[in-house]
Amino acid sequence: MLRSTFDSIGRVTLFGAKALRDAWFPPFEVEYLVTQLYEIGVGSFLLVVASGFALGVVLTLHTRSMLVQFGAAADIPVFQSLAFFNEIGPLVTGLLMAGRVGAGIGAQLANMRSTEQIDAIETLSINSFRLLVVTRVIACTAMLPLLAIVMDVAGILGGFVSEHLSSHLSWTLYLERAFDGVAPAEFIPPTLKTAVYGYFIATISCFYGYTTNEGSEGVRKAAMYSVVISSLVIILADVILVKCIFFFFPDQAI
Amino acid sequence: MRDNGDRGGLDNAVIEFEQVDKAFNGRRVLDKVSFSVSRGETLCILGRSGTGKSVTLKLMIGLLKADAGKVLVEGANMATLDEDGLVKVRRKMGFLFQSAALFDSFSLNQNLALPLQRLDRTKSPDEIKRAVAETLRQVGLENDGEKMPAALSGGMQKRAGLARALILKPEILLVDEPSSGLDRITAGEIDDLFMKVKTERHTTIVMVTHDIHGARKIADKFAVLDEGRLLAFGTPEELEGKQDNRLQQFISEC
Repeated sequence: MLRSTFDSIGRVTLFGAKALRDAWFPPFEVEYLVTQLYEIGVGSFLLVVASGFALGVVLTLHTRSMLVQFGAAADIPVFQSLAFFNEIGPLVTGLLMAGRVGAGIGAQLANMRSTEQIDAIETLSINSFRLLVVTRVIACTAMLPLLAIVMDVAGILGGFVSEHLSSHLSWTLYLERAFDGVAPAEFIPPTLKTAVYGYFIATISCFYGYTTNEGSEGVRKAAMYSVVISSLVIILADVILVKCIFFFFPDQAI
Repeated sequence: MRDNGDRGGLDNAVIEFEQVDKAFNGRRVLDKVSFSVSRGETLCILGRSGTGKSVTLKLMIGLLKADAGKVLVEGANMATLDEDGLVKVRRKMGFLFQSAALFDSFSLNQNLALPLQRLDRTKSPDEIKRAVAETLRQVGLENDGEKMPAALSGGMQKRAGLARALILKPEILLVDEPSSGLDRITAGEIDDLFMKVKTERHTTIVMVTHDIHGARKIADKFAVLDEGRLLAFGTPEELEGKQDNRLQQFISEC
């Protein structure tokens, strides 16, 4: 059990390293990459907006009663923005994408493997790894930070709507307070860490989809492992990445 | 039974198997198999399910590597070719999978255009469009180019798979169970298409089949595999003349 776990970790690591290396060398599958960027980015847009907005509303509802008691109602916007920029936006985006994109990639590649579509690509003298894996890894790595920003914006908007309905706070004042004292270091590093999440999601999902060979059972396992392991890795990586951010930006740790 | 050491007709051999072994999880699927296919010849590989027929085709195109022995395609050893070498050899080959293996997220037109876009960079988009339309016309699917593979019947998928395998005008065509899952009439139509390819393009064809009627119509030679060993190799007339009950059983019951 332990041995097979370490064996899997080793194989996924090598698989991801190969994708990372191949991303820098031609042929670049530009057309297919654009399709993947669209599928991951545009395809996930509404899910991220809806989730971010709902979380923004709920977070404000929860924090309002607490902060009002301490006479800190004016800090609700900045509390909201910091919560989203630092943790909620990046982490929830990562977990949502592990579900939507990870399951999709795992199931699609596993199905392509079991129906010999990947073999067919190879027989056409096309490098299936570059076409199917490298493009997805690049697309997922590139789109996650953008989706995290969308999540942040939707969360702040949801927080504003919730706050406006309670206190009739204006949009301009809400925004002014939300960004008051928020340093770039509190926004940029946490947003960029989602690129690492994207890389993990795509690598893990592609690995389980691309290397399966068990028919419909393989499709089921690939989809399941893609979501479960990507989610777990994201949560564990979050701990390490937050520690790294605190190391490089010590002001944030105070 | 053909002597494994005898590889008559080697001067004009396009594909040569020399003492090829292949095993999966300790189970030997091919056991010292040797034969050759001459240019322009049609070889039908017959035998029971699980006797290594599809594996033989996958060894020819380099999707699998032999455990021992040599698989030579136009003199090139498929086991030792690097990626570029493999691409060059595969460029001369077409492969029709048992399941057709059409890319299910692409329309029929896109399925056929992909190899041209990737491997024949001299063609303009208009020329590619014309080549796709012409190839679809040859297989009787001229009105179905915009359809997705899921919208096609089994017979239409086989014909579409054949069109994709033929669009690059391969010198060697490998075909895996073209008539499986098809009714007699549709299977006959597919066989007619192969006859057309054979007579008009003089393509070397290696076909794995259970359909002895179709095989008799198209084959110049038969190779009969039994439990991983080459039971017999020769022209249909030669094999019919052999007093081997087991062989006759295969030829009449396949």
